[in-house]
Amino acid sequence: MIHSLFLINASGDIFLEKHWKSVVSRSVCDYFFEAQERATEPENVPPVIPTPHHYLISVLRHRIYFVAVIQSEVPPLFVIEFLHRVVDTFQDYFGVCTEAAIKDNVVVVYELLEEMLDNGFPLATESNILKELIKPPTILRTMVNTITGSTNVGEQLPTGQLSVVPWRRTGVKYTNNEAYFDVVEEIDAIIDKSGSTITAEIQGVIDACVKLTGMPDLTLSFMNPRLLDDVSFHPCVRFKRWEAERILSFIPPDGNFRLLSYHVSSQNLVAIPVYVKHNITFREGSSQGRFDLTLGPKQTMGKAVESVLVSSQLPRGVLNANLNPSQGAYTFDPVTKLLTWDVGKINPQKLPNLKGTMNLQAGASKPDENPTINIQFKIQQMAISGLKVNRLDMYGEKYKPFKGIKYMTKAGKFQVRT
Amino acid sequence: MPYLGGKEAVKELRRALSNPNIQADPLRYRNTVLRVIRMMSQGADVSSLFSEMVKACATVDVVQKKLVYIFLCSYATLNPELSLLVVNTLRKDCQDPNPMVRSLALRSMTNLRLPSLVEYVEQPLTAGLRDRAACVRRVAVLGWAKLSNLQPAADLDAAVVNELYSLLRDPDPVVVVNCLRALEEILKEEGGVVINKPITHHLLKRLKDCDVWGQCEVLRVLQRYRPQSDDELFDILSLLDPSLVSPHPPVMAATLSLFLSLCSDLPAVSLAALERVRGPLLSACGSSSREMRFAALCHVQLLLRSVPGLLGEHYKRFFCGYAEPAFIKQRKMQVLVELVNDDNVGMLLDELKGYCTDVSMDTAQTAIAAIGHIGRSYSDRSLEILTGLLTLKQEHITSAVVQTMRDLVWVCPQCSDTVCSALEGCEETLQDDQGRQALLWLLGVYGERLTSAPYTLEVFIDGVRSEASLGVKMELLTAAVRLFLTRPAEMQDMLGRLLHFCIEEERDMCVRDQALLYYRLLHCGIEETRKVLQGRRSDPSLGVLIGRQAEPISQWASSFNTMDALKKAAVETETASRGSPEHVATKLKADLDLPKTLDCCPDDALDNLYTNPVLHTAVFIIHLLSLSRAARSNLMNTPF
Repeated sequence: MIHSLFLINASGDIFLEKHWKSVVSRSVCDYFFEAQERATEPENVPPVIPTPHHYLISVLRHRIYFVAVIQSEVPPLFVIEFLHRVVDTFQDYFGVCTEAAIKDNVVVVYELLEEMLDNGFPLATESNILKELIKPPTILRTMVNTITGSTNVGEQLPTGQLSVVPWRRTGVKYTNNEAYFDVVEEIDAIIDKSGSTITAEIQGVIDACVKLTGMPDLTLSFMNPRLLDDVSFHPCVRFKRWEAERILSFIPPDGNFRLLSYHVSSQNLVAIPVYVKHNITFREGSSQGRFDLTLGPKQTMGKAVESVLVSSQLPRGVLNANLNPSQGAYTFDPVTKLLTWDVGKINPQKLPNLKGTMNLQAGASKPDENPTINIQFKIQQMAISGLKVNRLDMYGEKYKPFKGIKYMTKAGKFQVRT
Repeated sequence: MPYLGGKEAVKELRRALSNPNIQADPLRYRNTVLRVIRMMSQGADVSSLFSEMVKACATVDVVQKKLVYIFLCSYATLNPELSLLVVNTLRKDCQDPNPMVRSLALRSMTNLRLPSLVEYVEQPLTAGLRDRAACVRRVAVLGWAKLSNLQPAADLDAAVVNELYSLLRDPDPVVVVNCLRALEEILKEEGGVVINKPITHHLLKRLKDCDVWGQCEVLRVLQRYRPQSDDELFDILSLLDPSLVSPHPPVMAATLSLFLSLCSDLPAVSLAALERVRGPLLSACGSSSREMRFAALCHVQLLLRSVPGLLGEHYKRFFCGYAEPAFIKQRKMQVLVELVNDDNVGMLLDELKGYCTDVSMDTAQTAIAAIGHIGRSYSDRSLEILTGLLTLKQEHITSAVVQTMRDLVWVCPQCSDTVCSALEGCEETLQDDQGRQALLWLLGVYGERLTSAPYTLEVFIDGVRSEASLGVKMELLTAAVRLFLTRPAEMQDMLGRLLHFCIEEERDMCVRDQALLYYRLLHCGIEETRKVLQGRRSDPSLGVLIGRQAEPISQWASSFNTMDALKKAAVETETASRGSPEHVATKLKADLDLPKTLDCCPDDALDNLYTNPVLHTAVFIIHLLSLSRAARSNLMNTPF
């Protein structure tokens, strides 16, 4: 299935390779480099590249290409999903998935890859099981290992492999029993010139951190479960119960995991938390352009909009910009023509505003494209879709756990066209 | 710089590995081994350390063992004799009380892939199949598959195959799936694992226990099963129904693929299945992973071939984001073109118009081609946008617009007036060959309505001496002769000059031949020339062919969820953007008595007729054949 894996950085160096069947020569990557050279942007490299004897399927994450070499017919979605799983695992293990982190932990990387695939077939990909097979490196453990000479490899066979609940090990013990849930929603939207919504979509996840003794059985119910039309669960969730009663019932894995992810996409349901008033104009024959931008909160249920960051790619003809922000600071990079404005918190009484002029190259004609404005923001204590957890109950164990839930809304790909 | 100074580093590593002081200290020993692996992963050749590394394998340290195994597996084939030394250690590890060490040893032993080791490996592998721990069985099962790759299948014991079949009923789901994988490889010659009724139903029952990857594998293998009765078929289908809406795109795609192959005789059920996957497929199209989005879009394109209306109301999902990579934007536009209808055409065109000024040239060209495509059904609005784009005077945009107009005019002759009025003046911005060829074609065919046509051609003819492109010269010749037929007074002198140059001075045989052909054709008389050159005007009834009919699902079902789906779509875009009316014409000429060889040639060859200048003349030969025999012989014998 997956023959080999090459890790290639943005400058085109192979810095790691792993073969699960016979060794495939590095020269197969030349086809990839060709495509990389042809692509203007790093993300423009096509994900599937046919070569005379192989297919190269690549995934770009954290500025690293994960290139799988395929020799026989395989479902492409399968390979792509698996490569993403590899990256997720690395990130889970090392905190960040950068070239430096991978090089520093090259041994763990090899061990992981060895466990994740055998003869090119996926073997163990569940993070809980992998973590018992190979312990993730931590600063403390690295130091202990250096002094005592012990290893990162678990001494025992992972119990999960024998237990009836494959994602949870048996005999878990904690002194403080706690279960925390984070509801995080990202809003992707495209707003057109006049301020009406072209598309809007919410991608939400519920991440959980569960530290409970024994084999607890949890049920989580929502105030408004009908909101979720497109959901994907962690394998621990009993799907039948969800279909029948709209209740999440599950035996949780130990530690951090993603309980579910969902989409809310029907347009009338998606509230847009921020509005933008803009006036960006260039006049024919004049070497100056006007720039005026005001942000304001909208439909936020009284919660503050924080960490607002506005960025916009100004047209190529713009030489520099003299702007005056009412709060925060702005920067304009004359080389990449990228304008960023770090607004901070939006005060509804005094709306943040950025106003001034842009100078065009002398004699250049009026730019024909209008810049797009990208906005990032965060809203604490609110899920923009209106999703609310009703209650969490625990069965199967006698103690009383500590429970907590947190909501947060973030901007995903939030664009305003001008 | 991993490649420089490699020799020195290897020498130093060898000294360190054989240093008894280091060997005595487990930590330093392991770190040295680690350095070897680092060098290996950087691409340096460390194969000369093989014998030292074999020695490092005899250790109690599991991590060091793993590291050495990684080394051995990469270099064993270069040193088969020395590898024999490792086998003993490995066989000892297979008896270890720790199941993890057992599975590791078994896996490494089979990964060495040395035919000479087969006899040593068979015994531990057989024991591994009956091991208590599931993780050892998982490895052992796949081990047999690796072994069968090393030696011909005939040598493999039939008892092993039987044992593997019985392990299909193992309590551990991963063992079951690995068994399937192993049997598929071992029995490749006989068409893979036998899927009969009991096995099918057993696998379907276990499907829920498997992980995502296992489910995909099982679903793929089950495609070979043919249910014996309708009742059984519907039982299977209802069992599969939950995975059809699985949140994991690979599972969803594999299930749909199985559905389509099972219901190949029941189109209504297949259509219902397509309806059902709409939701999951759409959410895969909005996945946070670019690559997943791309693959999902390719599959959406397949689906749309049969059910064009499937996603009509969701067209906004396919609008492009600002920072999306070009390959996704292009795919999305191709999908958008399919989704156009009376209600959304205004929105769609506005959106596509925005993409036409994209920084990436390819994206801009695709957007323009997409507008042209929509123009086949909504020509007025599209043409308005296209003419608007010409005023931007951008080189690549103008070129793409002119090409698109040429393609559009061919299928919708009613828009020729608008096109003709838009063409004025755009020859100044056109630079590339493709765009100029398109312009020349338009000038030739619609020259009688364009007042400035002869003057534009004159510029081209005056510059023919410095013209580098073969295609442009050929197109110029044709355009000049065509225009001569409609406006002889203005063209006569120019055409004479052009023919003279092409016949007397031109180096390229192809152009020369073409010019000679036209010269002789003109000798035969104006009527004959007209028959050849103006014979293939498009006719409005062609428009009917454009509203594409829904294909039967079976047309593409076999390529669903395979690499083919991603590849084929790429080819389609190629012909869609490059194809010129000329080759459409050749395909449609039913009344022409095409020579047998050309008649049965595949579409690619017809494409070549146009794109390959050497074959260009072949098109004309076909048209010449429609002339009377007398005229033909006259043509060939005319002295020059």
